[in-house]
Amino acid sequence: MQDPLVIAGREFRSRLITGTGKYPSLEVMRGAVVASRCELVTVAVRRINLDDVGEAITDWLPEGVMLLPNTAGCRTAEEAVRVARLARAGGLPDWIKLEVIPDPRYLLPDGEETLRAAVELVGEGFTVLPYVFPDPVLQRKLEAAGCATVMPLAAPIGSGRGLRLRHAIEILVEQAEVPVIVDAGLGAPSQAAECMELGADGVLVNTAIGLAGDPIAMASAFAQAVEAGRAAYLAGIIEESETARPSSPITGLVTS
Amino acid sequence: MKVVCNGKELELGTRPTVSQLLDELGLRAPYALVELNGEPVERERYAETALQEGDTVVVARPVAGG
Repeated sequence: MQDPLVIAGREFRSRLITGTGKYPSLEVMRGAVVASRCELVTVAVRRINLDDVGEAITDWLPEGVMLLPNTAGCRTAEEAVRVARLARAGGLPDWIKLEVIPDPRYLLPDGEETLRAAVELVGEGFTVLPYVFPDPVLQRKLEAAGCATVMPLAAPIGSGRGLRLRHAIEILVEQAEVPVIVDAGLGAPSQAAECMELGADGVLVNTAIGLAGDPIAMASAFAQAVEAGRAAYLAGIIEESETARPSSPITGLVTS
Repeated sequence: MKVVCNGKELELGTRPTVSQLLDELGLRAPYALVELNGEPVERERYAETALQEGDTVVVARPVAGG
């Protein structure tokens, strides 16, 4: 496999991870996952409504796509550990997208609780992918705890505001020992490309695809942007210059 | 025999198991996640895990999310 994304020893062809929320229907969700060419999708874990069991999302996901359960809705380390244990016991993968979010307005993660949960879950054999504010000091602690990735937010979840925390994420990328997956806040494919151009290992996108006018077409657009951004990063982007640098010879002018 | 499942009291037959509860709820086993009195139950043990009068059960599953 050429230039795979490697998380905990597992190779993925696509550097785009998608969420499964906010789609107008499960059928459109399935189409978007296929169009995104992603191989890892996030799911939440919720109690079943006994009065209306409804459809199982897993019946709608394409073959070969790996599920990444999250701990969305958890406000403490204890709640997140409980959800992770429940998911694994019931047969979901032992990978967990760890989210500990006490703040409903901006949905910013609690770094201290996230670290505490990560230590516990790594100790129990989970592959832990924590959602974090892009804090380089916390990144080091999570890496030391044995996390498989660090997943910094670019902007608040669902905001579509793009790479607002670029400078902090650049530091994470520069010092990373495990993959940096930019998670949350991206609104347009160009912003995903920007993440990849600065050296992020991957991006996770949900709202920007699920709420797009045409989610399936947007999933394809994000896939292309992630590939283009990664290719540009590997190709080597030129240094910026304060002044112009002519592209044509400055000697031998016809008019000289 | 009564248990509380997802906050709702359910009347079950005699000597029910987790598997029978899931059948009763119309849930197939893959990715029906079960917590019994606060402890997760391994999927491989659903068929042999008996429910007792007054047990508290949480039944969950993966849903759309980011």
